[in-house]
Amino acid sequence: MNNEKAIKLLLVDDEDAFRQALAKRLGRREMDVFQASTGEEALEVLKATPANVVVMDVKMPGMGGLDALSRIRHEHPGTEVILLTGQAAVEDGITGIRSGAFDYLQKPVETENLVNKIRQAFDKGKHRTDLAKEAEMRESLERQMATAERLASLGTLAAGVAHEINNPLAIIAEAAGYMRLLLKKEECATIPFHDQLEKALGKIEKSVGRAKRTTMQLLGFAGQPDAVYREIELDDLVEEVILLVSGQASGMGVTVIKEQNPCPIILWTDPHRLRQVLINLVSNGIAACDRGGRVFIGSAFSEGMAVIHVRDTGHGIPKENMDRIFEPFFTTKPPGQGTGLGLFVSLDIIKRLGGAIQVESKVGQGACFRVSVPRRGKACPEVSNDIDWRDKARELERRDNHGAGAH
Amino acid sequence: MVRVPINILVVDDEEDFVEMFSMRLEEMGEIVKGVHSGQECLDILAQADVDVVILDIKMPGMDGIETLREIKRRNPIVEVILLTGHGTTDTAVEGMKLGAFDYLNKPADFRELMEKLEGARKRKAEQEERIRKAESRTLMRKTGNLF
Repeated sequence: MNNEKAIKLLLVDDEDAFRQALAKRLGRREMDVFQASTGEEALEVLKATPANVVVMDVKMPGMGGLDALSRIRHEHPGTEVILLTGQAAVEDGITGIRSGAFDYLQKPVETENLVNKIRQAFDKGKHRTDLAKEAEMRESLERQMATAERLASLGTLAAGVAHEINNPLAIIAEAAGYMRLLLKKEECATIPFHDQLEKALGKIEKSVGRAKRTTMQLLGFAGQPDAVYREIELDDLVEEVILLVSGQASGMGVTVIKEQNPCPIILWTDPHRLRQVLINLVSNGIAACDRGGRVFIGSAFSEGMAVIHVRDTGHGIPKENMDRIFEPFFTTKPPGQGTGLGLFVSLDIIKRLGGAIQVESKVGQGACFRVSVPRRGKACPEVSNDIDWRDKARELERRDNHGAGAH
Repeated sequence: MVRVPINILVVDDEEDFVEMFSMRLEEMGEIVKGVHSGQECLDILAQADVDVVILDIKMPGMDGIETLREIKRRNPIVEVILLTGHGTTDTAVEGMKLGAFDYLNKPADFRELMEKLEGARKRKAEQEERIRKAESRTLMRKTGNLF
């Protein structure tokens, strides 16, 4: 019964009385029946409401059943078509099957017969969609693996390049520093072009700094020291992130909004790393928005994972960039403004934390990044009222920050 | 007040780096020697007065950590500052356990380097002071025994 109810059936015949009577009978078999009186109308209806099965008369004024059939097979490959032919027109039926109809029945049709055919057609269509879905899933999985492999080899390469670049960078920095010292000497105060030389040295030093930031980020990816795990309340982390990006947000005229989550989520994770990732995502979101845009950050629970989403109302990510946003050095920002490493490093961090990042975006409709990390925390009620614990965590963090600053 | 220069030995297989780095440090008023391998470093230490060795970790042949171990074995009072590539923090930690004063990521911030140099020199001076005091105590005890 349920199976029948799920069948969406389009009935196409120019004879109104016949069609309506048949629709009524089929409707009683708990099929979802809609009707069309011409081939053209059938195509219109299918565009709005896709059907599992079409039962269609071959002989109709205007676009005949056979023409409509080939259009349907072309435009709606998931829809099966059963043709109804006149008694003396078996050839039409055979032509129909050749052009992709599921089968044909001769008029006058016996309802039971037709219902059986419809069910068979439905099953065939369903099987084919399942196969297609499976193939699609397999393809997507293969694509993901290929991307992961490419990222891994790119990462190794990038780290090697960064190491090699750091050495000449150090030489340039020392040479520029030495020249600066010379220019400061009394004997040099009056040499020609003194100020221009100093200015040029400034440019060299600034560029060395820029290149150094890039190599550091790359190597930060390659050789991260061990993570420091701790129990944290996700809400606190989200608030910290919002606080830390508030300067950038107000400068860009973008509002960052925290979406309330009624149940506090306690996580056992590396807060510094996770915060780095969230700051990166929110900051990207802000950059994607025009003045007046908004970035939402919120959290939820899903299948044992804590899921933090960062959604913006910005320009969105074009489809062709979707596969590339996690590649190192891929950036849409102007030179000097983005290293193209933010998402690359973020993904790496989240993978190390045992999680994943998912993206959804449409051009003009903003983007939504979902970061899921394993919870591995104590149960909610145990800690949510434990104020001592929260203080202890903050104390630990203070110490951590202090320790990090001393290097 | 005249600042007493620090005797520095720069060890790095990257010759251009040693040259520019030494010139800059000299310009800051320090006394600098530069060599390009761990072995040369040990040879210099055997014959010259050095306060602080600035030592690159990644070198062909005898690497920085090996050199450090040998320096500390032969002359533990010499201070060593390690130069590391970022991401080799583990090696740096190992180095500090072996007695290095501190480490710096390459390319290093010069101001940070000068601070660490000063710190290393100070630690060496304090150490020498302690040794002197200990020696004089022993000496006094010995002389006390005499009388």
